[in-house]
Amino acid sequence: MEYALELRGITKRFGPIVANDAVDFDLKPGEVHALLGENGAGKSTLMSVLYGLYTPDEGEIRVDGRPVTINSPLEAIDLGIGMVHQHFMLVPVMTVAENIVLAQEPTKGALLDVDASKARVRELSERYGLAVNPDARVEDITVGMQQRVEILRALYRGARILVLDEPTAVLTAQEANDLFRVLEALKADGTGIVFISHKLNEVLEIADRVTVLRRGKRIDTVPTQGATEESLARLMVGREVLLRVEKPPAQPKEAVLEVTDLEVSDDRGLPAVRGASLTIRAGEIVALAGVDGNGQSELVEAVTGLRPVQTGTIRVGGTDLTDSGARGMVRHGVSHIAEDRHRRGLVLNFTLAENLALREYNTPKLSNGWLLSLKRMRDRARGLIREYDVRGGGPSSLALSLSGGNQQKVVIAREIACNPRVLVAAQPTRGLDVGAIEFVHRRLVSERDAGRGILLMSLEFEEVRSLADRILVIYEGEIVGEFPPDVSEEELGIAMTGGGRQREAAA
Amino acid sequence: MSTELEPQPGEVEGEEIAEGYAQTPAARLAAYFDGGGVLVPVLTAVLAFFVGGLVILITGHNPLSTYKAIFNGSGLNWIFPWVSGSERTTAALNLQQTLIITVPLILTGLAVAFAFRCGLFNIGGLGQYLVGGYIAVWVGSSFAGMPSVLHIIFAIVAGTLGGAAWAGIAGLLKATVGAHEVISTIMLNWIAVWLGAYLFALNGPLQNTDPSQQSVPISNDIVAGAKLPVFWGDPELQGLHIGIFIALAAVVVFWLVLNRSTTGYEVRAVGFNPEAARYGGINVSWNYFLVMAVCGAFAGLAGTLDLLGWQFHIATNDVLNSASGGLAFFGIAVALLGRNTASGTVIAALLFGALLSGTSQRNLDPNIFEPELAGNLTFIIQGLVVLIVSADVIVLTMLRRGRSMFKRRSATAPAAKAEAS
Amino acid sequence: MSTAVATAAPTRAVNPRHAGWAGIVLGFVAWFIALPPAEVRTPVPSILIALLAITAGAWAIYGGEKRFGGWAIAAGIIGGAGAYASTQSGTGHLEDVVTWSALIAATLRYATPLVFGALGGIMSERSGVVNVGLEGMMLMGAFFGIFGADLLDSWFLGLLVGMAAGGLLAFVHAFFSINLRADQIVSGMALNFLALGVTGYIFLDHYGDQGTPDNISRIPDISIPGIKNLSFFGDAIGRTNTLTWVALILVVLLTIFLFRTPQGLRLRSVGEHPRAAETVGISVPRTRYLAVISSGVLAAMGGAYLSIGFIGSFNQGMTAGRGFIALAAVIFGKWYPGGALGAALLFGFSTALAQRLPAFSPSGAVLFQALPYVLTLIAVAGVIGRSRPPAAVGQPYVKE
Repeated sequence: MEYALELRGITKRFGPIVANDAVDFDLKPGEVHALLGENGAGKSTLMSVLYGLYTPDEGEIRVDGRPVTINSPLEAIDLGIGMVHQHFMLVPVMTVAENIVLAQEPTKGALLDVDASKARVRELSERYGLAVNPDARVEDITVGMQQRVEILRALYRGARILVLDEPTAVLTAQEANDLFRVLEALKADGTGIVFISHKLNEVLEIADRVTVLRRGKRIDTVPTQGATEESLARLMVGREVLLRVEKPPAQPKEAVLEVTDLEVSDDRGLPAVRGASLTIRAGEIVALAGVDGNGQSELVEAVTGLRPVQTGTIRVGGTDLTDSGARGMVRHGVSHIAEDRHRRGLVLNFTLAENLALREYNTPKLSNGWLLSLKRMRDRARGLIREYDVRGGGPSSLALSLSGGNQQKVVIAREIACNPRVLVAAQPTRGLDVGAIEFVHRRLVSERDAGRGILLMSLEFEEVRSLADRILVIYEGEIVGEFPPDVSEEELGIAMTGGGRQREAAA
Repeated sequence: MSTELEPQPGEVEGEEIAEGYAQTPAARLAAYFDGGGVLVPVLTAVLAFFVGGLVILITGHNPLSTYKAIFNGSGLNWIFPWVSGSERTTAALNLQQTLIITVPLILTGLAVAFAFRCGLFNIGGLGQYLVGGYIAVWVGSSFAGMPSVLHIIFAIVAGTLGGAAWAGIAGLLKATVGAHEVISTIMLNWIAVWLGAYLFALNGPLQNTDPSQQSVPISNDIVAGAKLPVFWGDPELQGLHIGIFIALAAVVVFWLVLNRSTTGYEVRAVGFNPEAARYGGINVSWNYFLVMAVCGAFAGLAGTLDLLGWQFHIATNDVLNSASGGLAFFGIAVALLGRNTASGTVIAALLFGALLSGTSQRNLDPNIFEPELAGNLTFIIQGLVVLIVSADVIVLTMLRRGRSMFKRRSATAPAAKAEAS
Repeated sequence: MSTAVATAAPTRAVNPRHAGWAGIVLGFVAWFIALPPAEVRTPVPSILIALLAITAGAWAIYGGEKRFGGWAIAAGIIGGAGAYASTQSGTGHLEDVVTWSALIAATLRYATPLVFGALGGIMSERSGVVNVGLEGMMLMGAFFGIFGADLLDSWFLGLLVGMAAGGLLAFVHAFFSINLRADQIVSGMALNFLALGVTGYIFLDHYGDQGTPDNISRIPDISIPGIKNLSFFGDAIGRTNTLTWVALILVVLLTIFLFRTPQGLRLRSVGEHPRAAETVGISVPRTRYLAVISSGVLAAMGGAYLSIGFIGSFNQGMTAGRGFIALAAVIFGKWYPGGALGAALLFGFSTALAQRLPAFSPSGAVLFQALPYVLTLIAVAGVIGRSRPPAAVGQPYVKE
């Protein structure tokens, strides 16, 4: 048996949703096999099955030709499978050495053998060129370093199959180069590597073979020899377009939102948006397209007053609104359909009437001075529920009792009811079914035609292409290109993955 | 991370909800209380009393006659029309006792409940109650020449503000540096206790000025004009004072602010989901401070009314004894059993008020059950109530999970992405 | 916490951190020389030393060592003021209060239950479970310790019974926190009430009004032969209760356990990042159960020390907030056994002073009892450097 790992016909369902549909995947020793696909294509689910986090509904896993069942990460580790998680599983306050040896500590009598731990770490790090300081605390070292610690931990535990889940998503270009050198060394040593990514250029650079997943199905497995970014992008996105929105051509008018040289930090204080500028005019939908984690969330939060701006200005209708806070933004005409309706967009334990009042509960529309007007809140809710066809509850139902699509309608109703000049829609169809998606799309188009400027942040190719009048591509916190909506999938895909950077420099 | 809400039909988003939603444990509790209905608290109380009954049984007493004696001791038998004659007179006296104790229980219950509704856990009711009392006793025993009504109002306002300021320290620390309110309110409780032990100690700044009492560590008595009028029973025998109306008014204020005002809207939004509140433009830190101060005002008012209504003076021993199992701690059980609602708090306060006065030396028939034992039985029941409430989150989770699974089965197949991270 | 603070410092002359330490020491010295046995009767030298301490503190702050500098300034102010007050009072009074050997002995007595409680708190919280039920667990140890000692006529068996009772209450906490995912703070508070009721109930039911008998077997003191007769050391540590020594030994053992053994490393990883621990194959529930139960056992030892070691009797609610001071010591000691010991000694010292100071001012002395709480309040406010609890503390963990 020449394969280190074989996955045969893996099917994993979550309720009615098929996350993996009879997927085949195999890996030879000393090979880098990339797993490529859009967000939601089923990559992480497949690897969670491999790592014992999910039990597959159907299919077989073979390691070194032997059929195995993997019920826990521990069993995966024992089979020589190591995982480098996208969100590192490291204890921040502990040292590098402690994190690496955790749960398989060398001992001297009953005590931890600290010197032996450090020696093992040094030995491994020299062997694969993974320079780390065993005494440093994990919270004090860079993200790139932390990733090395994760890799070292897998190697320390004898991994011969290493799964890297979007390893470059958090790295700088230099760090990514360093990582690739390490992977070459591991390859030479006979370790098989599964490389999960949606960055085409990287896949071409590091992988030997590529398996493309789309909507839970394996589309194809091809050698990278002879493959191009275009050919991979075509496989990844597919040809058929399921959703087409009928819309008249846009008639853009005056600029309503002007963002200039915006710089914003992420939660850890690292730069996330680096000097982005953009303009949105009344009566157009501008999509902010990009792969997750390239600063689009931070940009949206800054524009809607939820995240402090480091430098740069945000103007709405000519007025400078930088640093005016969430309420200030709403008051001046920027509404926000939040990315995560459970975490931010809704108070799930509030009634629909209360949720619909979240923006304007303290304005004369809904209160008499200090007292809420429950009647007006209810009446307005009833009107909005009818207008937006919210089903499954009335003004006094709790938001958590609604389905996701109807919850989203509540958010949209509230945000449009503020009569904004600019509507920021962040992933407005995330997690919705087809009918609800269609509703959201139609509504966004009709609001555009009513003269609002719409900033659409989306991770879905199709949504961006079918809704937008202009497409701005964000990559590593910078706006790297502008495209018309009829841009080819390949071209868009390449720009979003940092490929066509030079070509589009003029735009 | 996941006593959180179930994902709704139509999506597969396990983890996103968990991150950041209902971070504070108190917020999580508060979130669940809405769904419980009246059944869960009733079952909680029944279960606690049942286990208490087992304890009585195991130690060789008759639970039924004991509970009956406690019931009669609480004076609640007064409501039965067939109770008459001297029995009725005793019942009236007992019921006055019960209601006197119910007053601070309602208010300390509100002090915990209001915080819970904002996602905070106020364990500092004791300290706020004590500080309110210190100020009330100082004001009430000074200014002897003031007109009675003015004097009472002055004392009440001062005591209430004192409690508010004391709790405000914890609120300020939470709002500015994020200090956990549980730790800071516990510390403030004990600081208040020792402060009292200092104020009224021998030669302490507020020790009494009566020449014949110089060896007693006790405060001056409230002057006659500052005492709350008694409207039911004999003022000499601790009749029921008008504080009960003030407490009930506080309940109305609590309900009105929470459910009818823009402030209450903000408080509840912060309590359920601080991140969504921030998104809605609400100043979360300010709400933390404000809510703690209001809670302190409720508890401070409780201390004030007790002083002006029936205690009239503070001894250092009372202060030190209150530190473990004092009246103010019952506010936690009252609020949790009352589901942090206005009406629930009143009913739970009455229940614990009846239990406390029904087991007191003065009211319980010692031939049936020793009052000292019964007092400890009260602590056991209080502990069980709080313990069961702490875990009924899980009962409700299971209820809800069952319900949403049923829903999911009947929902139309949603085409959503299934990338679980 | 020792991040790069000293980088911008004026390191040329004196290391600012050393300056801070020197300031703290000088602050103590300023007061010390005004007290017996030195008893300098004029405040001038003390005040000069105190000013030096404040200067050192200011230097340290200027150099970037805010925390040490702040402490040094505080020590200077307190030391100077204390010294001034001391020189203004009569020597007789002073010698009544400040008998160092007796103060040390009293400090150890008062600190012992706090050390046990704090070690218990550290075990539980390091594993990620908040334990505000320490007070109740101590109370269980106090009552069932003496109850067992009385019934079985052996202090040792009594101690074991007390420890088992504390462990049982902790088991309830573990079950509610881990299996039922209860709110850990609410559950802990509930156990305090429950313990108060249960111990009081059985105590009264069994002993009635007379209270516990006088002749119950007690935990013996240890007389150290060589030291017993030395005047100073003899009075200070010559006759100290067995459990006091056990507490001190446990501080060392627990430090080794937490920071030098594989099991300790795993326990801490569970408290910091349970999911990471789970992915390398550590059982989070099992680790937390063991930690919480040992937490109850340790706290109960502190309680048993009170009843059958220190006082020799039981009365209702006799722990009187010591469980909460232990909790404060955990926080003040930044979740380190050594730190908690330091905090417990400081808190014990303030109680010891409060017991002796009435010679000066009967009312003011009692304020020293509040010192632990005030200091902890200041600590959680982050004024003297934020103390950081284990990251996952208080959060119920659910397997993926």
